[in-house]
Amino acid sequence: MNFLQIAIKDTIQQTNLIEKINSNSINIWHYIAFGEFLIILSLVFYIIYLKRRQTLSKFEKEILEAKNTDIDMDDLMLSINKSRELYKELSRKCHPDQHMNSEFQKEIEELFQEITKNKRNFQELVKLKDIAANKYNIKMN
Amino acid sequence: MWYKIIEIIDWFGEMTERYKLIRDFNKAGKNAFIAGITPTLLEAKITNGDSNYRHQFSKFLGGGYRIKALSGRPLNREEMIEIGKIILENKELVRKLIALGWDTLEVHDNSGFNGCKWPLKDYANIGGYLN
Repeated sequence: MNFLQIAIKDTIQQTNLIEKINSNSINIWHYIAFGEFLIILSLVFYIIYLKRRQTLSKFEKEILEAKNTDIDMDDLMLSINKSRELYKELSRKCHPDQHMNSEFQKEIEELFQEITKNKRNFQELVKLKDIAANKYNIKMN
Repeated sequence: MWYKIIEIIDWFGEMTERYKLIRDFNKAGKNAFIAGITPTLLEAKITNGDSNYRHQFSKFLGGGYRIKALSGRPLNREEMIEIGKIILENKELVRKLIALGWDTLEVHDNSGFNGCKWPLKDYANIGGYLN
């Protein structure tokens, strides 16, 4: 009788152990399956996104391009605070009236128009200043 | 259903883009101020905007791009207009602002309620659709 009881206990313990092992392995496979599902889902989204991009109208593409452009904020800060002074200096030094009989009179007129056009763009004004100083020998501060 | 999910993902993407633009502006403003390049500290933030300036890309309750200037004294009207015009003449920035759901540009000084505002759609020139 005792022998039978011990045998039954052993079998119960063994089945519990096997169940434990089985339940752990099922959990791991669940996680792997879930991960695979997420990967497949993200791929499906990506394919739909690409297809959608191909069928965009010209206007929508323009908007998307505008979204993706990088803005140089440092240049913007300089434009806000420094462009006014630089414009004043350039417009004074490169005014066509000051170069009436110069050999570069026409070019300086065009340069002055460019300066007026870019009066609030610091980066462009710096470029125009370099052109005025190096190409037309205008003395700058 | 797929398109709705993609729209939700797009919405989150746009929100991050919007905050990135604000963060970049504030960072550049701070750096310029610390380096002594600029005498004025500028800070950007999102506001409600003006409902009269709305367009089809406007964000609900987030259409205003406000630039606050800390200059140590109240800014006069000409100075605020000058700051606004510099932003508005930067075509790339204006188009990006519109694309990310802003409709109003506001320039304020740090104290009081005085400020200037402009409708961004008037300065974008995107194919004439927005007008």
